[in-house]
Formats: sequence, C-alpha cells, structure tokens
Amino acid sequence: MSLENPFQDPLRFERRVPECAMVIFGANGDLTKRKLLPALYRLAYERRLDAGFAVLGISRTPMTDDQFREKMLASVKEFLEDSPFDADVWAAFAQGIFYMAGNFDDGALFPALDARLKAIDAARHTGGNVLFYLSAQPSQYIPIAQGIAAANVGKGSGWRRIVIEKPFGHDLASAQELSAELHSAFAEAEVYRIDHYLGKETVQNILALRFGNGIFEPLWNRRYVNHVQITAAESIGVEGRGAYYQEAGALRDMIQNHLSQVMATIAMEPSATFRPDSVRDERSKLLRSIRVMKPDEVLQNTVSGQYGPAHIGGEDVPGFRQEPGVKPDAQTDTYAAVTFFVDNWRWAGVPFYLRSGKRLPKRVTEIAIQFNSAPLAIFNGDETTTAPNLLILRIQPEEGISLKFLSKRPGSGMTLRPVSMDFNYGSSFGERSPSAYETLLLDAIIGDATLYTRQDMVEASWAVVDAVQHVWNETKFDFPNYAAGSWGPKAADDMLARRGHVWRQP
Amino acid sequence: MGAAGGTIAPDRILHDMADLWVSLGKQGEGDAGVLRACSMTLVVAAEESDDAQAIGETLAALMPEHPSRAIVLRFRADAQRGLAARVFAQCWMPFGHRQQICCEQIEIAASDASLPDLAAVVLPLTVPDLPVILWCRSPRLFQLPDFSQLAAIAQKVVLDSAAFGEPAAALGEMSGAAAAGSLLADLSWTRLTRWRELIAQIFENRAQLANLPLVTDILISYRAAATPPTAYYLAAWLIDGLAKVGARPRVQFRSDGGEPAWRLSLVQLRAQGSADALASIALAEGSCAEVKTGGLVSKAPLPALTDYALMREELSIPGRDPAFERTLAAAAKLALS
Repeated sequence: MSLENPFQDPLRFERRVPECAMVIFGANGDLTKRKLLPALYRLAYERRLDAGFAVLGISRTPMTDDQFREKMLASVKEFLEDSPFDADVWAAFAQGIFYMAGNFDDGALFPALDARLKAIDAARHTGGNVLFYLSAQPSQYIPIAQGIAAANVGKGSGWRRIVIEKPFGHDLASAQELSAELHSAFAEAEVYRIDHYLGKETVQNILALRFGNGIFEPLWNRRYVNHVQITAAESIGVEGRGAYYQEAGALRDMIQNHLSQVMATIAMEPSATFRPDSVRDERSKLLRSIRVMKPDEVLQNTVSGQYGPAHIGGEDVPGFRQEPGVKPDAQTDTYAAVTFFVDNWRWAGVPFYLRSGKRLPKRVTEIAIQFNSAPLAIFNGDETTTAPNLLILRIQPEEGISLKFLSKRPGSGMTLRPVSMDFNYGSSFGERSPSAYETLLLDAIIGDATLYTRQDMVEASWAVVDAVQHVWNETKFDFPNYAAGSWGPKAADDMLARRGHVWRQP
Repeated sequence: MGAAGGTIAPDRILHDMADLWVSLGKQGEGDAGVLRACSMTLVVAAEESDDAQAIGETLAALMPEHPSRAIVLRFRADAQRGLAARVFAQCWMPFGHRQQICCEQIEIAASDASLPDLAAVVLPLTVPDLPVILWCRSPRLFQLPDFSQLAAIAQKVVLDSAAFGEPAAALGEMSGAAAAGSLLADLSWTRLTRWRELIAQIFENRAQLANLPLVTDILISYRAAATPPTAYYLAAWLIDGLAKVGARPRVQFRSDGGEPAWRLSLVQLRAQGSADALASIALAEGSCAEVKTGGLVSKAPLPALTDYALMREELSIPGRDPAFERTLAAAAKLALS
C-alpha cells in the first residue's frame, strides 16, 4: 500500500506537486528564455516545486551546464515580471539545471538523453517522472517524437508527459499526422497541447462565473443572448516574425486555437464534474457543434484583412508587405473575422463573431456577450434608453468583468443612461495572479489536463477553420485593405451590419 | 460622532455612512465615480493604548484583497459606561485606473463597562449576508466576562496566543473555548503555515515519504526564552501527521536564546541511528529557510509575518479549519503535560 503524505493541508497550502525532471527541447530559444525559465523560477520562489526538481535543456548550441545556467540567470532577471529576484533561491534552483547539446534529427541524441535522465534521477530523486517540453520549431516536433519513440524514452519508471506548443499542424491532415507521431511514443492522456490563453485567470474565471453562480446560466442561451463577440487585437505588427507569419495568418495563428478555445469555454454545456476529461469532453462537444461553412457561405461570413502602411503617433509604420521577410504580394491574413454558428439547442441562431488582427488600435482581448434588449421600450428617449445589456469578460490587458445595464439618471423625469458595474481582478484581489505559464506548467507536472487541448478538440477546430482557409486560398484578396492603427477592414463592419449588429470598440 | 450620555445609535451610524457614500460619489468626475466593495464585516477589538495608526495601516493593506466593512472597537479600562463613534472610508485608487475603490470604517470608543451594550450596537452595523470576523488583539478583552456576547456575533474569532502571558494557559483557554463551540483562529498557528508547507513539500517526494515511518525524533528550536505556542503547535501537528504513518517520535524543544521578537529557528526529523536528519529546515540569513533533505539543499524565502500577512491568510478562511482545531487540542495537551 502506498503512503499518503500526512502533512498536506489543502485549506492553506498550494496544490501538491510531485517530484520530476523537465526536458526542454529548444532550450536556447525565445520561449524558454522569456516564459519557461522565468515561470519555473517563480514556481521555485513560491516553493511550488519539489526540492529535487531538475531542468534539462537541449538545443544545438554547444554549452556546459554552467554556461546554460548563466544564460538562464540572465533571462530570468530580464523577464521576471512583478516578482523579486532572490539570489539564494536561484542558487539552489540552478543546481538542478542541466544542459546537453544535440541535433533533434540525430538518433544518438535520445539514448544519451535517457542516460542523462537516469543520472539526474539518481542524484535528485525525481522519481523517474519526466515532463518533455517541445519549445522547438514546429518542423522539429515530428523528429523529436520519433527520436523519443525509437529510444523508448517516453516510457520509464515514473510518469512521462509531453507538452507541445501550437501550431498543432497547419491544417486538419497535418494535425492528424503530428498526433499519430506523438502517439507512437505517448498515449493521448500523456500529450499536453498548451494553449496559454486557457491558463489566463479570466479564462478560468469564465468557468467560475458560469458554473459557480446560479444567476447567469439561466440566461446563457439563445433566448436571452443576442450575439457574442470575441476580440483579440494586437497593436504591434509581426515584429520580425514575418517569414513565419506569412505562412500562418491570423485565422490559423489565433482563431483556430486561442479564440476557438475561448469560444468553447463560453459556450460549452456545464460539465458534470471539474475533472479534466469531463470539462474537456464538453469543450470538445461544443467545438464539434460549430457549423462547418459550405464554400459558398464563406465569403459572406468571414473577412480576411491585411494591414497597409500608416502614420501613427508621428511615426511611419510599414504595411505587412513592407515587413522584413514578407513577399511583396503576400496574401496572408493579418486580420481575420468570422461568424460562427453553433448547431445545438442552446445556441441555434446566435452568431458568434470572432476577430483577431495585428496593428489594430490597441492590445486587447475580450469577450462581449450582448443580451437581447428589453422586449418593450416603455421609457421615452434616444437609443441609449434601449441599449442592450452587455457582459464583458476582459482577458487582457486588465483582467476583469463588467456588466452594463441601464439606470435612471438622477433628477426629475425618467431618463435612462447606461452604467457599468466593474469587477477588476487586479484591484479586487491584491494578490499577484500567476502567469499563464506558471499555471499551465504546474498543471502538467501535477497531471491536470483541464486547461490543455485534446486532439479531438484540435481536429474539430481545424475542420471548421479548414473550410474557411480553403476558400481563402482560392481567393485573390485586394490587400492591403485596412490601415495600420484602424479597427480592420470595412468588410468586417459590413459582415455584422448584415445581421443588424456592430462591433464593440473595446 | 458622539452622543449625549455616552450612547450611540446604530441607525445614526448607518445614516452617516450613507451620507459618506453620497459625498464620495460627488467627488468623482463623470463615470470615474467610486466603487464600493465589501466581502465581509471585520470587527477589530483593541485596547485604547493599542497603536491606532498601525491598526489603520493593517486594515488599509487588507482592504484590496478582503474588502470589508471594518468596525474598530477601542476599549479603555473604565468602570463608567460610555460609547462614541465616527465613520469614515478607506479608499484607494488602483494603479492606472480613474475609479476609486472604497470600504467603510466605523470606529467606536467604548469603556469596559459598556461591553454588555456593545453587541446590540455592532450587530445592526454588520453587512447582511456576509461573514463577520472578530479580530481580538488583546488577551485581556478576550478574558472579560461579557466578551462572549460580542464574540457570538462573529462566525470566527481571531486571537494571538503569543500575546497571552503564559503559552500553556493560553492554549488551554483557547482549547476550552473551542471545545465549547467557539470557532477560533490563532495567529500563532498562522505563523507556522510556511514552515508546515515546506515540511509537507519535502514529503511529496516519494523517496522521502517512504522514510517518514522511520522518524523517531523531532527537534524544534526557537529563539525565545520559553517555549512559544507556535512550537507546541508545530510539535502537535508533526506528531499527528507521523502517527498516521505509524511513527511515534519523541519531541525535544530547544531554546536558542531569547530575542525581543521570537522566531522558530530549526525543525529536524531524525531516524534513530542515522547520522543525518531525514529532513531539516533551518532559519537562514536574509529571511530564508534552508531546507535539507536527501542530500539536497534548497532555499525558500520566509517573508516577514506582519499583522497584515497573518490576517490576510486568516480572512481567506472564514469557515472551519479542521487541521487547526485538531492541533489546538493536541498542543494544549502537550503544553499542559
């Protein structure tokens, strides 16, 4: 009979974290420096990791353990947000950081990795548990999976899990091929597809809002909800990633994964339990209920856009085609807007408008749920006296929830005005929220896949997006069609206007 | 606001609070008004001599995370009955926002003799449908015969056994009150959370967990002249945990010398005949704990345990804390043995 730790106190202690080693493929890359190591250090600072926790970084660049530690120290100091740096905590944490150089296509790398993991386990008591993290180029995912499978490193005395970053393929067929390769080394339950949007506090708070309260769920359906807008706007351009972005585009880069997942969280049916598979089953069901557009419906219900040059804040901003590494006639969508319908009893006929773009006026991600207006306008006045109720779930930059409703303007007469009731995460709770990567890394170590994407979800969202992408691929768009710094192409406004709606300006 | 004859009317206080909100609202411009936030009523019972500024600063620090209606009762040892009250607001402007967030604060000055009248004044001032927490900063007040009437308003009473003169008597008294049905919290127990969490984390590792039944000795050192309540709590909690895996360890308390502010300095779990401790957590320089286990050494920060930090944690647990209740009874027994 295995012993249970008798000292746990769930009321006061953070979640239990088992011992493990984490292998980062692509340890010399930007993600490792900017996100992973700062998040791991922060977890160590918060005493969330086992004392023997180890990181084994792998990339092509030859380096010693100490050189890698020095590099990671510089990254942690540079990218640690809202947190103090403690030299003592780092010194202890750094003892568990190791490095090995190798080419992911080289079959000899993986038996060497196996031997190194065994040595680390012996020295640091990691229990044979290993979390592999693919922070490498997407083109290297399959060689890494094949190497792990061939050397049988995906199996061991403890648990083995693999975390992969998006993109999970570039269409449905490639997503299935990637999944098949991963499954040669790992069972589906051991594959953690990370979508950092799902690790954000407000996205998790959607679940709390919907399923922890009794007052919202009765309104959460076609009878009361007029439409839903999901916006992920970025004010920056492609920032040197022109060559990558040229092949991806906003539809694949944002809507297929982040925004589809957010939509699934907003629209899914209540889960019977908060167990990972139960929640993911409901998300998956919702994604499979999104109507796949027929080719002749695509251009009516979607808008592809690309930003052109502009003069913003006294500065000349290049258009997408003027960005380094981008072809002068690129047909890439730097803006995508789609109208989705969910074919189930709850949502039939309710439009879900999703939009994402680069070089929009501000960086903001939010969900706006617009409710139907009161059935009868009994108060005289202009359109503000019949303004519909809006529930705004803000994801970034300021996480929070706002409810807009009408109130009587003080004084004689019956004049109404819209007012906003705000709940702001940052100010309502003084505690620092963990970053999405802290949350998700801890979840993967603990084995909680609730906030991770499953293959059936990936395939369902690709099926919806592929139908749009195929038509877009066959269409020659007259790009650029929106100026940098604007809210996107006029065609996106027209798309909503056809149903009597307008985009919110966040 | 004081009333003739040293009495106060709750309705008048509530009216003053309503006026306060109107005047705060008028100070806002356009949409940037005032946001009222409240998640509980926090009643603070303190001596008149207690540092009013320190209490105010602690409440202000607590408000962003635990917005509450604060009722501060300041007692003077006086046989004359007399009450006086004033209301004001604690407001803050979240960084980068135009809107102020405000919480109400009521301050009531009372004599010991008016304690029996106080419950009837405080009860109508509590916020409906939200928990009421009473933070009693003075052991003397807790021991006054009529204090129980005030305590009955609250779901939970927060005390600090370290402020009581004699640890064994304090633990005995609190254990007795808890056994009689009072829901108590003790900041001396709260001070242990980080130490306990570090210990628990060590045994999340299966290799270390397998050694736990081998523990035969517990050593707890502290920087204080006499064994503080926190050391008794830690011992009782460790004994309880180890009993679950079949270990029956001996406990040794060791004083490392008195300091003006006592602290735990070391806790070790040892197996008989083993040269090294199975687990050891020692206070290190720079507000750090040095954790040694399985040949590995790591460091973890031990942030300063201010009143704010302790109350912040306690206010997060408005209901029962079974681990504390169990440990309080065992610690009292240990201290009195």
